[in-house]
Amino acid sequence: MLTKFETKSNRVKGLSFHSKRPWILASLHSGVIQLWDFRMGTLIDRFDEHDGPVRGVHFHMSQPLFVSGGDDYKIKVWNYKLHRCLFTLLGHLDYIRTVQFHHEHPWIVSASDDQTIRIWNWQSRTCISVLTGHNHYVMCASFHPKEDLVVSASLDQTVRVWDIGSLKKKTSSPVDDILRLSQMNSDLFGGVDVIVKYVLEGHDRGVNWAAFHPTLPLIVSGADDRQVKLWRMNDTKAWEVDTLRGHMNNVSCVMFHPKQDIIISNSEDKSIRVWDGTKRTGLQTFRREHDRFWILAVHPEMNVLAAGHDSGMIVFKLERERPAFAVSGDSLFYAKDRFLRYYDFLTQTESQALTIRRPGSTTLNQSPRTLSYSPTENAVLICSDVDGGSYELYVIPKDNIGRGDNLQEAKKGLGSSAIFVARNRFAVLDKGNNQVLIKNLKNEVVKKSGLPVTTDAIFYAGTGNLLCRSEDRVVIFDLQQRLVLGDLQTPFVRYVVWSNDMETVALLSKHTIVITNKKLVHQCTLHETIRVKSGAWDDNGVFIYTTLNHIKYCLPNGDSGIIRTLDVPIYITKVSGNTVFCLDRDGKNKTIVIDATEFIFKLSLLRKRYDQVMSMIRNSQLCGEAMIAYLQQKGFPEVALHFVKDEKTRFKLALESGNIQIAVASAKEIDDKDHWYRLGVEALRQGNAGIVEYAYQRTKNFERLSFLYLINGNLEKLSKMLKIAEVKNDVMGQFHNALYLGDIQERVKILENAGHLPLAYITASVHGLHDVAERLASQLGNDVPPLPEGKEPSLLMPPAPVTCGGDWPLLRVMKGIFDGGLDSIGRGAVDEEEEEEDAGGDWGEDLDVVDVDGLQNGDVTEILEYGEVAEENEEEGGWDLEDLELPPEVDTPKVSGGARSSIFVAPTPGMPVSQIWIQKSSLAAEHAAAGNFDTAMRLLNRQLGIRNFAPLKSMFLDLHTGSQSYLRAYSSVPVVSLAIERGWSESASPNVRCPPALVFNFSQLDEKLKAGYKATKAGKFTEGLRLFVSILHTIPLIVVESRREVDEVKELIIIAKEYVLGLQMELKRREMKDDPVRQQELAAYFTHCNLQMPHLRLALQNAMVVCSKAKNWATAGNFARRLLETNPTNENQAKAARQVLQAAERNMTDAVQLNYDFRNPFVTCGATYVPIYRGQKDVSCPYCTTRFVPSQEGQLCSVCDLAVVGADASGLLCSPSQIR
Amino acid sequence: MASAAAPDHLFNLRINFYLGSYQSAINNSDLPNLSPDDAVERDCLVYRSYIALGSYQLVINEIDSSAATPLQAVKLLAKYLANPHDKESTIASLKEWLADPAIGNNATLRLIAGIVFMYEEDYIEALKHTNAGGTMELHALNVQIFIKMHRSDYAEKQLRVMQQVDEDHTLTQLANAWLNLAVGGSKIQEAYLIFQDFSEKYPMTGLILNGKAVCCMHMGNFDEAETLLLEALNKASSNGGNQIFISLDLNL
Repeated sequence: MLTKFETKSNRVKGLSFHSKRPWILASLHSGVIQLWDFRMGTLIDRFDEHDGPVRGVHFHMSQPLFVSGGDDYKIKVWNYKLHRCLFTLLGHLDYIRTVQFHHEHPWIVSASDDQTIRIWNWQSRTCISVLTGHNHYVMCASFHPKEDLVVSASLDQTVRVWDIGSLKKKTSSPVDDILRLSQMNSDLFGGVDVIVKYVLEGHDRGVNWAAFHPTLPLIVSGADDRQVKLWRMNDTKAWEVDTLRGHMNNVSCVMFHPKQDIIISNSEDKSIRVWDGTKRTGLQTFRREHDRFWILAVHPEMNVLAAGHDSGMIVFKLERERPAFAVSGDSLFYAKDRFLRYYDFLTQTESQALTIRRPGSTTLNQSPRTLSYSPTENAVLICSDVDGGSYELYVIPKDNIGRGDNLQEAKKGLGSSAIFVARNRFAVLDKGNNQVLIKNLKNEVVKKSGLPVTTDAIFYAGTGNLLCRSEDRVVIFDLQQRLVLGDLQTPFVRYVVWSNDMETVALLSKHTIVITNKKLVHQCTLHETIRVKSGAWDDNGVFIYTTLNHIKYCLPNGDSGIIRTLDVPIYITKVSGNTVFCLDRDGKNKTIVIDATEFIFKLSLLRKRYDQVMSMIRNSQLCGEAMIAYLQQKGFPEVALHFVKDEKTRFKLALESGNIQIAVASAKEIDDKDHWYRLGVEALRQGNAGIVEYAYQRTKNFERLSFLYLINGNLEKLSKMLKIAEVKNDVMGQFHNALYLGDIQERVKILENAGHLPLAYITASVHGLHDVAERLASQLGNDVPPLPEGKEPSLLMPPAPVTCGGDWPLLRVMKGIFDGGLDSIGRGAVDEEEEEEDAGGDWGEDLDVVDVDGLQNGDVTEILEYGEVAEENEEEGGWDLEDLELPPEVDTPKVSGGARSSIFVAPTPGMPVSQIWIQKSSLAAEHAAAGNFDTAMRLLNRQLGIRNFAPLKSMFLDLHTGSQSYLRAYSSVPVVSLAIERGWSESASPNVRCPPALVFNFSQLDEKLKAGYKATKAGKFTEGLRLFVSILHTIPLIVVESRREVDEVKELIIIAKEYVLGLQMELKRREMKDDPVRQQELAAYFTHCNLQMPHLRLALQNAMVVCSKAKNWATAGNFARRLLETNPTNENQAKAARQVLQAAERNMTDAVQLNYDFRNPFVTCGATYVPIYRGQKDVSCPYCTTRFVPSQEGQLCSVCDLAVVGADASGLLCSPSQIR
Repeated sequence: MASAAAPDHLFNLRINFYLGSYQSAINNSDLPNLSPDDAVERDCLVYRSYIALGSYQLVINEIDSSAATPLQAVKLLAKYLANPHDKESTIASLKEWLADPAIGNNATLRLIAGIVFMYEEDYIEALKHTNAGGTMELHALNVQIFIKMHRSDYAEKQLRVMQQVDEDHTLTQLANAWLNLAVGGSKIQEAYLIFQDFSEKYPMTGLILNGKAVCCMHMGNFDEAETLLLEALNKASSNGGNQIFISLDLNL
């Protein structure tokens, strides 16, 4: 039993739950009816009008009403909103035992000691039926929840079921009611409306309670014979089914549980008993020391019960409703019924993972209590209270998630809590010995460790650590070092929620949340009046938690607030952005979208992220008093200023933040004295004299104004003030102003005018205005006052002010961030990628048909120079076998040592992985990767006829280093080199070697090819040449998987070869400025290389221009024709070609004879660049297939720079699929 | 209430040393109330940390001839590493000490012998002194020697021994990771998990990062490996080897 709420009062005889709100009514033996909020634990109201004990009380389903019946024979109907009794139903002649509203009709049923049951219509406030038949006190009567039945129990040892169907028909018209009222007396005994359907006899003593089952045709009753009886009924009869024995005294009340198959009874033997409804065995007994139980109530919706006893009542639950769950990354595991289920936060889908043990029904509260999950091993620990605390370990089969229909035999053990402490280790608490057992996944004890404090539960606290909970404190304990890492006094901790980064932890107690860092250093504590239920950390380090009825947040500094209210309790599993994922009490996953603006805003303020603050101020509608108050309280009045429309608040905030401009504006709007005054004060504080003056002027505060002028030294205005005072006839003001001005004549005049002649006289004479003094003396006559003796008079003159007019130096007011910051929202300067391709940068040489002489050479020389340098580089560093050191592994080990050791025979060294690679492979690249360069070279020589390895040297080295990784293992010990293999997969079995990982792959070449094309198009021939050559150089060391890819590689060789040849010729042509014939020839040959269409066009255009410049119109015309045949997209190209063609048609001759016959198909020799027409003899390169004139046989191929022309070779081998 | 065994005072020091955070091992070595044996072990670990950091001369200077045998052994290692040209004499005195029945069986001395002969690539000789085991360190060294000899079967046997002694020991875990890497295949992932465990539990060190990176490379995950190695590079500078071909793999 989980007690939720308890009261102390007089004996509780009646109880009723409200159907929607967390309220309960308790009627007391003292005559008082109490209305409690059992969730908040507060007494909402009390109703004290009955005289003597109130035994029955009941809430109406939907109206704000309840009914009560007491020993004063009265039935009272109350409106709890109006806090008063509406009316009283009179009629019973003895104590009233129970009262109940009908669920839909406006009826009340009441049971009384006068041996009758009465049904009342509370709308017409009349008794509509009297049910007679019991011949002793009727202890209880209640309506069936659906059918037209009433069940009653009486001390006459019977339970009766009444059919009230006829009553329903009769009352269909309200007129009937009044009609029947007259008939009432005749019906009083042996009424015809309601008839007894069944009389259930079986109890040996008086029956105290009888109740219907909510859905099944069952009745349960409890009697003074200490028995609980179960009855079944059908349409025609009712019979006893079973008897539940166990109570030691009168059974006072018994009920079916609304949702579970259990029966709850209580008794004067001071116990509540829970029975299994099917097996009819006792499940649990709860005892109280001194209090007899009198009444039970079940909540129709929520899973709560209540029981009234001699000194109060208790509201309780039978079973925990929190589903056990564990969160790991984006997945949630939770127990529901007899399944372990899995929920994916990303896809928001759920599935069954496992079937777990069926929760034993022998006792209650045996369902899983906590879950712990190890993501890497996919294992789950489920703890429950079975056998006084035990755990079960399941491993979820990886491929099985989503099906989960297999029942797995769990590994079990005793222990009150068990959690994973590492990937494959879990800790089990052994409370008896106050130690933890560390176990592995085979459920074997690996280690035992005593605990530093008496621990009753353990929680996860990072790998290898435990958070131990004792009664009033928590401790973080390092299992390996056996050290206490942190220690904190807290209220009894129920749940522990770690932040995602494991840096902070929230310790949830019943009514408090303590947030600490990972060493349990206290950060803040929150107190809640309502029970704290669950929580999770959001991505920003805000703790989102739930109480019974709220979702709330807690900022790192301990500020908290409500996000929204909840109808039913939920258990937060994860917070992601605005979405709160939670489980409800039925184990359903829900998502709640919350408005995160408020706490994000506060968090930004807290973290001083003012840019975010500003953008939030602009974009969202987070206004409201609370927010302003918060900002003021936190010292951000200037921020609050941005929210407020109300001028008064605005004024106040402006003053607070010292923003005088806004304050002035607001003051103008408000325009009342008080605000002007306060503005003046603030302006004065800041030294803004202008504003001060303005404020004083607005309030007509002349005295202050005068004083301000005095201080400012503004004599001009001061004398104006004097005049104003004069106009206003304000003598005192006049005098003050005169005094401030130091104007004695004026003062004397004022005094004189005011009739203070003696004062005027003294003033005048003291200050030496003798003529005036004499005049006054004459006026005064005899009353001339004596001048003070022995005092040196001095002229009172105001001091000269330091600054005249204007403002004082102003106080610096904090402005900064918020005023300026508003505008500086980051402008993402996106770097526009420049349109790169400008076709023909160096193809240059625009055709100029008119000015044929204008030969342009461009900057060819520069490019050529570059090319030469590159060539030089390539030449250096010839292949030098001696440079290569074989890797140490290949060294033959010294075997000699073995013999010396007599006992221990050292094993012979095994075979290095690289050697395995070599044995398996005939691919040159893999041999190179294994470091076996000589065999790699031999292979290449045999397969491709390669003799020049210089260009390959660096690639060999790359391959070798690229296939090794180095593991620094033990300190100060040589590193271990490990071979990296290709095509790793999770399922690969160990000790089986795959071929080496290679640094070169086909896709890299593809990219190079594209780069080469681009360079060619842009006219960067040297660059293009370099790329194509490097493709040719890399291909021998490429390894691909499929046959198809092999063909692609072969194709690539041809493409690269054509380009290399073409570009070589083009570069050569540019070299030969002084040989126009050869230039034309080379340009012509270039057009016969197999190029991409745009490149071909450019080559054709090039050749066309060159030839037309040399006046070889016929040839040029041919090029132009070919160019036009390609349908050039570039209009300029086409135009130029047409012009050339026209010119050529006028003059179909060639100025010079070229070695070029475009009608006859030919290939170009790779070394001499002469055409080899079809049928002529040639030799070719075994690798790149470039053709050569026969004289080149035996030379190094000038295109690929690798193979020997005409050498024998078996062909390219670049895939294991070729060997198979 | 009190825990069964006394807390291990050198625990953190050892962890720091094994996981390659030598500087913090040195910085946090000032431990009170050590027994004489513990003190010697502490000194050994500290000096070996200095050696690992390359401060050979400091070690040679600070350990005088009156120090305990383990310390002398450590000094020998420093000498060996400090003077690669003069290694013959160091090896000679090492052999001499090993032959001395009084001290020849000292675990630290044997460990140092193992290390020195590993440098000499004379694994047979190294094993002669280390195979008898006795300490976790010796076992761990054996595992590494066997891996170097490409005899993962033997390495596995050694690991078994270690696991029987203490499965959760840092060295056991490390050795397990080494072996997993050496045998490859699905074991790579296990090795990764072991390094991952370390990185969750202890501050990141170059050694852990490098280990993780190697795993990543073996799993073909070169991008992650590069990030890890760059991070490692910030921490220490001894991972040059791997860095080079990571860039090869990524850029070519």
